[in-house]
Amino acid sequence: MSQLPFDPLLLSLAAPLALALAIALGLPKRWSVRLAYVAFAIPALLALHVWWHFSDTPLPVHGYAFLTHYSTGLDGLGIGLTLGLNGISLPLFVLAGLVGFAAGLYALQSGAERLKIYLMLLLIMQAGLMGVFASVDVFFFYFFHELALIPTFIMVGVWGGRDRSYAAMKLTIYLTLGAMISLVGLIALYVKSGANSFDLIALRAHLAAHPLAETVQSNIAGLLLFGLGILVSLWPLHTWAPLGYGAAPSSAAMLHAGVLKKFGLYGLVQIALPLLPAGLAHWSHPLAWLAVIGNILVIGLITIAQRDLKQMIGYSSVMHMGYAFLGIAAGSVLGAGGVVLLMVAHGLSVALLFLLATAVHHRTHTFAMDEMGGLAQQAPVLAAFFVAATFASIGLPGFANFWGELTIFVALWQFSPLITALAVAGVVLSAIYGLRSAARVFFGPPTEQLTRVTNLHPVADLRWAEKIPALILLAALLFIGFWPKSLTAPLDAALSTKPVIARSDVTKQSSSISDGSPRSAPAGLAMTK
Amino acid sequence: MPTTTVIYFPTILLVPLISAAVIALFLRRKGNAAATVAVVAAAFVAIDAIRMALRGLRFESSTEWLRLGDLAISIGFKFDDLASLMLCIVGVVGLCVHVFSLGYMSDDAAKARYFGGLSLFMFSMIGIVLADNLFMMFIFWELVGFSSYVLINHWHEKTSASDAAKKAFIVNRVGDFGFLLGLILCYWTNHTVNLTALAEQSESGHLVFSTLIPLLLFCGAVGKSAQLPLQVWLPDAMEGPTPVSALIHAATMVAAGIYMLCRINVLMVPDALTVIMWTGTATALYAALCAITQRDIKKILAYSTLSQLGFMVAAFGLGSLSDTHLHDGQPHTVFYAVGVGAAMFHLTTHAAFKALLFLGSGSVIHGCHHEQDIFKLGGLAKKMPLTFATFTIGVGAIIGLPFLAGFFSKDAILFLAFTKNRAVFGLLAFTAVLTSLYMVRLWKLTFLGAPRSDHAAQAHEGGVTLTAPLVVLAALSIGGGYTGLYAGLFDGVLDLIPEAQGPDHTIILVTSLVVMLLGASTALALYSSAPTDALAQKSPGLFGALGALKNSFDAAYDYYVAKIQQRFAMLLNFLEQIFLAGLIVRGLAGFVGLFGMGARALHTGNLNAYVYWFLGGVVALWAFATGAL
Repeated sequence: MSQLPFDPLLLSLAAPLALALAIALGLPKRWSVRLAYVAFAIPALLALHVWWHFSDTPLPVHGYAFLTHYSTGLDGLGIGLTLGLNGISLPLFVLAGLVGFAAGLYALQSGAERLKIYLMLLLIMQAGLMGVFASVDVFFFYFFHELALIPTFIMVGVWGGRDRSYAAMKLTIYLTLGAMISLVGLIALYVKSGANSFDLIALRAHLAAHPLAETVQSNIAGLLLFGLGILVSLWPLHTWAPLGYGAAPSSAAMLHAGVLKKFGLYGLVQIALPLLPAGLAHWSHPLAWLAVIGNILVIGLITIAQRDLKQMIGYSSVMHMGYAFLGIAAGSVLGAGGVVLLMVAHGLSVALLFLLATAVHHRTHTFAMDEMGGLAQQAPVLAAFFVAATFASIGLPGFANFWGELTIFVALWQFSPLITALAVAGVVLSAIYGLRSAARVFFGPPTEQLTRVTNLHPVADLRWAEKIPALILLAALLFIGFWPKSLTAPLDAALSTKPVIARSDVTKQSSSISDGSPRSAPAGLAMTK
Repeated sequence: MPTTTVIYFPTILLVPLISAAVIALFLRRKGNAAATVAVVAAAFVAIDAIRMALRGLRFESSTEWLRLGDLAISIGFKFDDLASLMLCIVGVVGLCVHVFSLGYMSDDAAKARYFGGLSLFMFSMIGIVLADNLFMMFIFWELVGFSSYVLINHWHEKTSASDAAKKAFIVNRVGDFGFLLGLILCYWTNHTVNLTALAEQSESGHLVFSTLIPLLLFCGAVGKSAQLPLQVWLPDAMEGPTPVSALIHAATMVAAGIYMLCRINVLMVPDALTVIMWTGTATALYAALCAITQRDIKKILAYSTLSQLGFMVAAFGLGSLSDTHLHDGQPHTVFYAVGVGAAMFHLTTHAAFKALLFLGSGSVIHGCHHEQDIFKLGGLAKKMPLTFATFTIGVGAIIGLPFLAGFFSKDAILFLAFTKNRAVFGLLAFTAVLTSLYMVRLWKLTFLGAPRSDHAAQAHEGGVTLTAPLVVLAALSIGGGYTGLYAGLFDGVLDLIPEAQGPDHTIILVTSLVVMLLGASTALALYSSAPTDALAQKSPGLFGALGALKNSFDAAYDYYVAKIQQRFAMLLNFLEQIFLAGLIVRGLAGFVGLFGMGARALHTGNLNAYVYWFLGGVVALWAFATGAL
């Protein structure tokens, strides 16, 4: 598998964390900036490395590669820092690495005030994100999410734009509430499963042998669904999102909308779908209707009505999450796989859009789209990037987003043709707001306001410092768009072989559990160690 | 992630993609180099397409591209007679348009973007032609939409161009909504969308027929081939450079809809065909009526494209002819998909003469300093003799002048309509009168009489890059109707062309000649070299009614978009801001805020303090969990 002399997963979260610590301890600014390039590059390079080597060797039967366990002294509670990647977490781990790198590079050239602290917070966020997707242990999965979430609040509150204090407060209330509800769900799962472990491999094996009663399942699924749903902006619990993203500084918006927001969906696909299938099925119809009417159609129309570029992107992101919820509701391997594909694609494209929106703002000194126009004449490369990002986000084939939407639609048909038809209608809505915003910002003659601004500050095209992070994101979108197998092969294996694994594993494990023999390490680790 | 599967990727598809990528990455500022790369790529496509046709090369290949649960999508190519014919059309017309663009766009500031767009367009279109399954076809279908967006938007500093590009893509998306649903329905009912597999299932009787599948898929064709009621984008798309219009109208985008219908012929059921037939007939008639009042040379041609596409769709919808004979003493019925034959035949000849007409109009526009109003042209026959001669051949072909290409293909459609449905036959024959009327009107006002503006008076013929494509296309507009010339190359399609025999033959021949002469003589008599429209003066009522007919769809859509959709969106936005975000949530927040008062003591506003609180909390939790507390 990996020939590295160290654990790539641990290093990918330790490197940014170490630099953050060093900055907190007073590293000079010059060194902070230089080392930050390295600290953001390491997770990205390691993510690409594990992606490349993931399918080198046959996977153990539980499907996790790069598995390592670090004792935390909490083994008695079944809590341990277990890092590993399966076909579901791998794509998101790669997403976190790439978007983190792009956001880091963008922050480094942004010249933000108090850059050192800004970088420190961003590094903590990055470490948390890598940790979320590398954790096999549910406790640490949650812990890393909180680690990444807290810097977001601070960054919005301190470095944010318009309405930043209100946005930060709202963000904090909503996201903390969502996280707490889902925490209750996770604890309930831990208690009710009786596996006495937070380790996903052990939980999965145990629950496959002793499935929870249907009412228990549906109660826990409800907690997870709506708790995590708030984090993913399920309608009508979404209002924090456009406001928060509108106010957030660009790198924070890139990381949050691009990656951290996916925590909730990831939790649903990785934890709820395999462990609580009956529970999720119980909620699938209300969920699908909320998502299709609320997130897709209502928010789609609201997105059309937006005048502020960043708010528009924020709302479009809420809308696209509706497709992800539909994939969860569909419940099949295809639906869940579509969700993961869409998460990765949307993460890359929304991060790119936020980056470009900020680049537009630097040139127009406004986010109001009706005060722009004709920017393509002075900044053709920026226009080209923006158009590409827009088409990516509205699901043009050739970009990753297309695969996410297509697979979800195909899966959804088996769930409900009517909901599928309504959801596909959303594709027209996204074409309307996407192309309309591109036209209002870049095409036609410049507006008077813009001419006034550009006379004072001549417009330059995209600089290389802005272009490189944008290119990283665009290249990833195109690569997955042209070569979807690079993600779907491990994804399909992880999603569709699950029951078999559980059953074959269970006979051994359930017997050992029923023997009452004490286990010091979570199940399943013996195979890799 | 290492990959072991090798995908067979035809070079003919790869070359335009490479050309587009090279231009986008390296030649952004080098317009001439970009033009050379694109033209070389187009030449390769044309030569390779003809070479494959002459050698009778046929292949099918399919490799899995993605597998997830129950869904498997393959990247595969099906190169049969139909694809080979279509590829030749795309290649030859594409090359002519590329060469013409060399002259037409020589002074353009964004030449590289233009030629990159052309290459991308060729790539997308060839993808549709070669696709062996509906998923792949859908992918390239969308890419054609994107390419057209880029090209129509070429002069993006004009609001009208930017709006037209947006409209084209969005209207196409509306059609694609149906395409995608039909595709998914077909996948789940037949468990495959591979064209060959569907045909095999149909032969073995395992194909599940449903009216919904072909009708939903037809929605896609309605969008792309601009049939009623989604025809609105096509006249607006004239905002793009003229060679682009030629490419979109003759061989690529709008033809894709017809080609797609022919590809999915096995899925058709009688009810669906009836809908398709009437949609085509209505479009043919509607567009011809609209064309009569237009003043802009390109708009007239745009409506004529709509009308001719209506002919093709109607021909397809007229469907199969059956032939019953005794086989081993049992009556045995064989169906011939003559609809496919007639539609593809007309598509072929139309590609030649419509490209000729558009490029001819481009030559006129280029020679007259971008004057497009036919009432301000006139007398160009002497100033631009070559353009005049070739354009005349194009006009002759489209109105069905005997022995030119359009004559044969239009007769095939009329004959099919005559045998299958007399009402459709009547309407299409009437449409043919109108076609002859508005085309001769255009021809007379542009080329005959005296110049009616300075631009027309100073008109001049363009260089060889402008005239050579005209000559090639004129030759094809003459010879394209003689299927004997390319017999043996595409027999799978050519054998399906319906041919009238006996008394029917006479009826069709007489009808088509009468129709053509009636329209042409009316035009010649009615319109004289004057700066105003003769019809508007002689019959203002009729003229106004036709104008209103043309505007009715745009008016209805504009009303919907501006008054209904936008207002509904604003209302929802208002409700969202006021109720959801404002009252309810802020109300809750206010309630929570009371509790917050107590906690405010902890809010020192000092960042470090927050970090310490957080760390303290983590330590306390940890201590609690390990049992130390």
